[in-house]
Amino acid sequence: MSLCVWLVEDDRDLRATLREVIEVEGYRVITSATLADAQAVLTHAGAGIDLVLLDLGLPDGEGEAVLALLRRERNVPVIMISARDDDGQKIRLLDAGADDYLVKPFSVGELLARMRVALRHRGTRLQAAVTHYQRNGLEIDLAAHRVALHGETVHLTPTEFKLLARLARSAGQVVTHRQLLTDVWGNEFVEHTHYLRLYMGQLRAKLEADSAEPCLLLTEPGVGYRLMEPGNAG
Amino acid sequence: MSLLDGYLDLANLAILLVLASALVSLSLSPLASLCSSAMAILAFNWAFVSPRGTLVVDLREQVLLLITMLAVSWIVALLMGRQRALAHEARRHAQQADQLRMLGEALRDARAPLEQVDLLGETLEQLTGGPVTLLIPGQDTPANGENRLLRGRASIDQYDGLRLILTTSQAMGPGTGRHEEQNAWFLPMRGRTASFGAALLPVTDEIARSLPLREHAQALCDQMGLALERAHTLYLARTAHAEAQLQGLRNTLLAAIAHDHRTPLATILGAASALLEQNERLSSDQRQRLAATIVDEAQALTRLTDNTLQLARLDSPDLELRMDWESLEEIVGSVLQRVRRRDPERRVQARLAPGLPLLRCNAVLLVQLLDNLLDNALKYSDAGTAVEVQARQENGRLLLAVLDRGPGIAPEWRERVFTAFERGGAPDTAMHRGVGVGLALCRAIARVNGGQLYYRPREGGGACFECSLPLTPLPPHRPHEAPHS
Repeated sequence: MSLCVWLVEDDRDLRATLREVIEVEGYRVITSATLADAQAVLTHAGAGIDLVLLDLGLPDGEGEAVLALLRRERNVPVIMISARDDDGQKIRLLDAGADDYLVKPFSVGELLARMRVALRHRGTRLQAAVTHYQRNGLEIDLAAHRVALHGETVHLTPTEFKLLARLARSAGQVVTHRQLLTDVWGNEFVEHTHYLRLYMGQLRAKLEADSAEPCLLLTEPGVGYRLMEPGNAG
Repeated sequence: MSLLDGYLDLANLAILLVLASALVSLSLSPLASLCSSAMAILAFNWAFVSPRGTLVVDLREQVLLLITMLAVSWIVALLMGRQRALAHEARRHAQQADQLRMLGEALRDARAPLEQVDLLGETLEQLTGGPVTLLIPGQDTPANGENRLLRGRASIDQYDGLRLILTTSQAMGPGTGRHEEQNAWFLPMRGRTASFGAALLPVTDEIARSLPLREHAQALCDQMGLALERAHTLYLARTAHAEAQLQGLRNTLLAAIAHDHRTPLATILGAASALLEQNERLSSDQRQRLAATIVDEAQALTRLTDNTLQLARLDSPDLELRMDWESLEEIVGSVLQRVRRRDPERRVQARLAPGLPLLRCNAVLLVQLLDNLLDNALKYSDAGTAVEVQARQENGRLLLAVLDRGPGIAPEWRERVFTAFERGGAPDTAMHRGVGVGLALCRAIARVNGGQLYYRPREGGGACFECSLPLTPLPPHRPHEAPHS
């Protein structure tokens, strides 16, 4: 049975276009246009949904309300769609449990890529987290605390490893500064962004071919970091 | 004194009595000390002046003695009383000056004078001992706007009285010459041009007669009035500024639409309608090219819109920027990642000095600045030539530059390119749309991050846009290893 995508978007034309391109990829699509409609769908058809695309600006309220409802009971991946490129808002949504966000206008390729990543992480919050990561010759074995680059062991300090492991568990998704600082250093360090800058610099120096132009440990300016989604060994 | 009787003569005893009276007048009120000294002298006459036991005086010298005693005692008593009244007056003056100073300081430190309305109310209540009512008009129009009672309550008549003095700016109540029959003072809070509030102070008859007290209460009210007037003037200035900004934003958007939006829209419309109407007659290559044109032009339009909106936002008076510690390597890295999509030949090269310190800035804006400068550089220089991003530290500032080997900018255009809706050259020199908005935005971004952006010709030909940003020392605690779990 094909995966079911729930699209909450108030603009009729954008909704029709998105529905079409998502269906072409083989997904089943349910759509809602208003907050009230979305709440009804959530009550009656909520169980069968595999992925949510949620527009923030709905005619009768903020899409954030749906996110809150969803997060209260379900672990389904949510990608937020926003008309404003506002880093404060992105951070708030990600910290509130959104898996990813897209800013209008976005390309279809970008949307489909984000959907694939979000679906891969489906359920990881409940199951044992990702334990193995591999891409561009970088291998991370989270259980064995082992990191290797092109077959050779890389020595990381315990903090560097914790930071890398946190990103690897959410590989492909952006992790906010706050989440990283809380999980790696602890609650009292959420304002110490400069720790992150320095440790990310060290990690890049050890793991990237060209640390000035990273292709694994990506920066999301003003929001957080993203480890590229895992790929084939190579 | 009777113990000393017999040892001392009458004159010495009289001196002692005068001394006692003087001592008494130190602590009693003038009237009481006048009475007590008169009584003492009568008693002295009774007990010591012969014939003893009567108020009759035998000798004329002794009459003179008694009168002198009385006169000296009274003079001392009156002088002491006067002295005490002066001291009391001085204390009251000091206290009032203190109250004025405290209110003045509180008003100066407050973000809005209305925060200190309770302090004014309490101070006035200390003066009169009764509950004080304060009326402050709405912010828009001092005299006619919506009025608010910020403290206490008022009867309908009293409310009307307060509103009346708001317009007349003249005090009413006992001692003021207006509405003497009232049992309360109505005091306006006067600014230089009008009244910005009114106070109602119920007074007892005794207080009502005190002119200095009323003058002091008026001074306190006027202090609040001046502060409210200042706040009101600021508010008007801010509103006017915001309105001008809004007008400016409207003009900017209109100019953007008129100047730069129509051409990409025309291209998109042309390509899309060709796809729709000539679909069967087009080869698949042609269809692909038309679709690519639509995507390219839509992206250019998106950039133009983003830049225009961001420019308007940065010009807004209540801009609040999130500043954080940022690494320039990271910012350049994420810009490169975006730019590579438009730079398949990898013309952009980054040359960053090693060990650059962290910057205190807004990363999203700096990314937008670099992205715009690189976009221009790629468009205006020939394919195959390199575009460089350089960063280095110099004299406590961080210098970030984007350099190309294109034609550069003619001297007369070097400042004008930073103005929105200008393009660097004559219309026929194939300049691209939206560059003016982009560069105006870049300059605004440099400004809000505490830096400057300027142009200089590059040695050996080409353009160099250099952004100089301030460096702030890092917070004192150095990063440490995370606690082991």
